[in-house]
Amino acid sequence: MRVGYLLSGGAPVYKKYKSAAGHAAGIVVLRAASGATGVSTSTTTSFANVVGLTQDAGNIDVGAQVTYSTTQGQPEHLSTVCINPDAVLIALMVGSAGDAILTDNPVTIASSDGLTVVMTNSISNLDEGTVWYISGPNAGQSRKITSVSSATATVIMPFPRADAIGNSAFAIAQTPGSLGVTLSTALKNVLENNTALGSDAAASCVDLELNGLSNSYIHLIAVDHVFGVST
Amino acid sequence: MANPHSTILIKKQYTQKQLLAWDEHPGKSRGTTAGSWISDLVAAKKVVTLCPLCTHKFNPGRLGYRKEKEFPYVQAKCDGCQVFDIRCTAYFNEETYSQVRSTAEDRRAERRKSQLSLKREGHL
Repeated sequence: MRVGYLLSGGAPVYKKYKSAAGHAAGIVVLRAASGATGVSTSTTTSFANVVGLTQDAGNIDVGAQVTYSTTQGQPEHLSTVCINPDAVLIALMVGSAGDAILTDNPVTIASSDGLTVVMTNSISNLDEGTVWYISGPNAGQSRKITSVSSATATVIMPFPRADAIGNSAFAIAQTPGSLGVTLSTALKNVLENNTALGSDAAASCVDLELNGLSNSYIHLIAVDHVFGVST
Repeated sequence: MANPHSTILIKKQYTQKQLLAWDEHPGKSRGTTAGSWISDLVAAKKVVTLCPLCTHKFNPGRLGYRKEKEFPYVQAKCDGCQVFDIRCTAYFNEETYSQVRSTAEDRRAERRKSQLSLKREGHL
């Protein structure tokens, strides 16, 4: 995951926090749990009490132990964290927990009126998400899904042209303003595989960059941020 | 009569922000020189943030670092003089920069690639 920009347009704030273990660069870290120490790692479905996004990896001592040492005199571990609550994080969309690229979901029945996209694989959990074409007459066009039925996405604003069998298309659960993402195992990318929004990480979608299967991105902002404004 | 030596404990309600403030790394320890501390950070490929007064002493190219250009200023504690400055410059290790930053140039390249692909397929 990468910091793309700040909603306020201001300057990022970096803090070097102690950490209980060496964290990877580009992952969201959380406030330490009760009884624990240092910032801790997020999970694939939890962004509770976000502190920020790590900007570097590893430990202060090259070759030193990875886990936190309680031996007096041992070096402390630190991570540089971008703590802006309005930081927009840009994550690649991936098709599996292991970061495989998105799987094509080609059209199986052509739609002449542009109001439905009938794909190959089920998208039953992606109502209120977004559907877009990667190839065909509507390539590059996207619409918000207003209802789903098995592998069919229905939209209100019709696509400009009739599609054809075999056109590459894809659907995701997010749309600008939606809440919730599931991350891949490495915690850097967003998993898109017909998972419904529900018990997932509290991040709101700011924008979508819908390109091909290996280079489409989602812009996220953490909504449960320790330095955010409580309402 | 109460024992004059007894201690009354009053539990304080610390906020999350206070607890996090204590988790901030103090920076270089007493007795360590600034150069030595920055060398340690560089060896561990950490982000180095330097205020306008300290930044000229750091040569990023020689150490495999690059200057952050996407955000010309960052607000951070200077790793040289340990003073918080709202106009620090951040330096990233070359290997980690692309993992943590999405630049306008990156997004432009992705867009160009996507447009070329559509053009090649005859959709533009």
